[in-house]
Amino acid sequence: MPIIEVSSLNYRYVGQRDYVLRDISFTVNEGEFVLIVGPSGCGKSTLCRCLNGLIPHFYEGDLEGDVWVAGHSVRETPTHVLSQHVGMVFQNPQNQLFSLSVESDVAFALENLSLPREEIRRRVDEVLSLLGITELRDRSPFELSGGQQQKVAIASVLAMRPRIIIMDEPTSFLDPISSLNLIETIDRIRKSLGLTVLLVEHRIELAAPRANRIIVMNDGQIVYDGNPAEFFERYDAHSYGVYVPKVVRLAREVNKHVRLFNKPPLSPEEFEERVRMFASHRV
Amino acid sequence: MALSLFEGLRFKPGKSFVHKLDPRAKLLTSLLILITAFMYTDVVIISILLLLEYVLIRIAGVSGMWLKTLRGALPLAAIIFVITFFARMADKGVAFITFYESFAFAYRLVVFLSSFSLFFLTTTPEEIALTLTKLRIPYQYTFAFVSAIRFTPVLAEEMQSIMDAQRARGLELDKGGFLQRIRKMIPVLVPLLVNVLRRSYELAEAMEVKCFGVSKNRTYLKELRPTGKDYAFTAVVVVLFAMVVVARVFYIQPALHIFGLLGLLS
Amino acid sequence: MPAIEFEHVSYQYKSGVKALDDVSFTIERGELVVLMGENGSGKTTILKHLNGLLKPTEGRVIIDGTDTRTATVAQLAAKVGLVFQNAEEMFFESTVRDEVAFALKNFGYSEDVVKRRVEWALRFMELDAYAENSPFILSGGEKKRLALAIVLAWGPEIIALDEPTIGQDSLQKEKMAEMVRLLNTQGKTVIMASHDVEFVADLSPRIILLSRGKVMGDGTAEEVLTDVEKLAKCSILPPQVVATLTRLQDLSITRRTLSVEAAAREVVEKIWR
Ligand SMILES: Nc1ncnc2c1ncn2[C@@H]1O[C@H](COP(=O)(O)OP(=O)(O)OP(=O)(O)O)[C@@H](O)[C@H]1O
Ligand SMILES: Nc1ncnc2c1ncn2[C@@H]1O[C@H](COP(=O)(O)OP(=O)(O)OP(=O)(O)O)[C@@H](O)[C@H]1O
Ligand SMILES: [Mg+2]
Ligand SMILES: [Mg+2]
Repeated sequence: MPIIEVSSLNYRYVGQRDYVLRDISFTVNEGEFVLIVGPSGCGKSTLCRCLNGLIPHFYEGDLEGDVWVAGHSVRETPTHVLSQHVGMVFQNPQNQLFSLSVESDVAFALENLSLPREEIRRRVDEVLSLLGITELRDRSPFELSGGQQQKVAIASVLAMRPRIIIMDEPTSFLDPISSLNLIETIDRIRKSLGLTVLLVEHRIELAAPRANRIIVMNDGQIVYDGNPAEFFERYDAHSYGVYVPKVVRLAREVNKHVRLFNKPPLSPEEFEERVRMFASHRV
Repeated sequence: MALSLFEGLRFKPGKSFVHKLDPRAKLLTSLLILITAFMYTDVVIISILLLLEYVLIRIAGVSGMWLKTLRGALPLAAIIFVITFFARMADKGVAFITFYESFAFAYRLVVFLSSFSLFFLTTTPEEIALTLTKLRIPYQYTFAFVSAIRFTPVLAEEMQSIMDAQRARGLELDKGGFLQRIRKMIPVLVPLLVNVLRRSYELAEAMEVKCFGVSKNRTYLKELRPTGKDYAFTAVVVVLFAMVVVARVFYIQPALHIFGLLGLLS
Repeated sequence: MPAIEFEHVSYQYKSGVKALDDVSFTIERGELVVLMGENGSGKTTILKHLNGLLKPTEGRVIIDGTDTRTATVAQLAAKVGLVFQNAEEMFFESTVRDEVAFALKNFGYSEDVVKRRVEWALRFMELDAYAENSPFILSGGEKKRLALAIVLAWGPEIIALDEPTIGQDSLQKEKMAEMVRLLNTQGKTVIMASHDVEFVADLSPRIILLSRGKVMGDGTAEEVLTDVEKLAKCSILPPQVVATLTRLQDLSITRRTLSVEAAAREVVEKIWR
């Protein structure tokens, strides 16, 4: 069942001549993990804003086409209602944590929605343990590492119990291990809560193996929407500013000698699996 | 110097009786000390107040920081002393009483600055925010206060990093005359301003997504729950203050009585 | 004379954090070196020692024969061009040209030298078309190039780059790698902090591996990035080629390499033997 439906979406910011998004149409089903990639400036962040109501409620400008999210028309629904269906995590963790303790930050949106105190307390406990950050409860966000801050940001959004979560380059400020850790955490939560995840990410090699689907954008348009492995097989990903994971290149190189891979593997694990299967057949 | 004054206003974490007191009880105490100091220009009374503060400070275990505040307040006190002295000299001449009163004025300032340092040193910014809420101050102001506390260190770090970056481009911030140095702050202040603007835009976006300002009856997860200790403490403070007021009505001024006995006021 | 010498350098921030702990290494002129390590391992702290923004609490840092404690930041900055991680957030002039000229004026170059060098640096970084634009309206990749142009303009012998690839797409990264290589072949000493393993693997520099303020390894990219155990100890993900080969160890695939071609050949040989 589609939880996001976008049709013929065009958008330009106030005072700009060119449309930043042009004729964007796609649907996302409940429970999918969609990776959104594309060169810098192609409109990924703008698209995210269209899905959670920041466009047109916070940013003005010309919006054409329809966006439906969790049964609500984004154009007609105020941001605070949408926020309870679509959670948004931004790039810089510093600028989305306002409070003086992790607990207050996680409770922030729920307090604003004036939920009963008992309910807030229950939800805060729940999301803190879901992300494995219960022991950070009384710490100040300022003294946490980037990875921990980003987890707090995710917790504070999940506390609103959205069915969709959108993340705009959440690992930019993190080293590879912390990024991997964050992406694994997101994937685990997605599976346990049945969430729909849209992730904008430059670190393709970490995210692609976990995504069901990849949407590639270029210059405000969608140029590919489908299976990640197929994208690397059929397209010159690098020319779209998309990093080609080394295992994909490794598989291509092996295929020059023996045609071992019908579709490119996206992780060392997949590569290994394929080679072992082949090796065991040969014995 | 001025900085050490602020040092004394920054929260120092602790678990003492004073730290755990309800912030409203502490705020009331600080206020009553301030009012008492306003009612009396009497060194004996002011010294008693200072002594009381000192006892609380010792219990809280923050005497080091508190003494820093006192020291930080000294230059300010000196200015008050000089101003009062010249103002009083006009009608009373250079007499013992002129010295005495100017001194008492300056001393008074030290007492009430230090009484607020007592409050800020032992109260977390979060408790302060809760107190503001309890005082029915609109949430926007409380939020502004919390953000100021939250982002001051972030901005300080950013400023340091910009200064480092411009020095790496050959800017010598500590060279040249006064005007030149001010001009040299432009390469630091412009990026700082631009970054603050960008940051506040991003913050506003995140606040919007977190439903800021949606409901008029915002819930507050944390509450202030006064305990028996808080009531007992507040009662003691109020009784002491009542005694002070009574004494004032009967015009009791211990220092002046002593000086009178010593014949210094003739 | 080596370009950079760190002799038993320790550094402690005022907050009490010991960011560097007995760090020693020597970098010769013309070398290309990458400092690798997880968040907080001390990479930026080392770079800030190069131009004297930080002075060691213990030990000595010697740049081109000068102990950094005996020179001002401005004197050292003339030799070491440091590009900050967020250098694009430090722009303040109204045009790209003025932004580049700022440092040259600080270093006291005459007007026509300033002019010549600005033009040269902008052309080198392919920014000459934007000379009259405001630096604030450049795209992300252009801003990064401007940050590098600013430093190149005054011609320092040593170029230091802090995380030049952060938040960049694959095309921009490729461009950055090209620039770094070009500078290095022109004889500049380049030292760079990065935790972008694949980017570093492609650049194939000398690597100094850091963890919690200590030097944990120092060698060629091939040596350091194929040592899987050590990388794990320093919380660094190995490059994908190495990770893949390691998984196939028991199939007598023993070769450890960064090269995709060599790795593919190894797999094919061992499986079709
Ligand atoms: N608030 C804004 N006002 C005007 N123009 C904007 C605004 N935000 C973005 N743009 C422009 O819209 C275009 C798309 O920007 P967007 O931020 O969506 O790209 P992106 O794909 O997220 O890039 P990146 O990978 O660098 O984050 C860019 O040309 C950008 O300059
Ligand atoms: N200005 C500062 N004051 C206090 N501590 C600091 C300061 N700057 C850095 N540190 C601390 O010093 C240590 C090393 O920091 P440094 O910035 O050098 O790490 P890094 O390797 O550059 O990390 P990253 O990958 O996050 O950029 C960290 O523990 C950090 O928290
Ligand atoms: Mg973006
Ligand atoms: Mg760093």
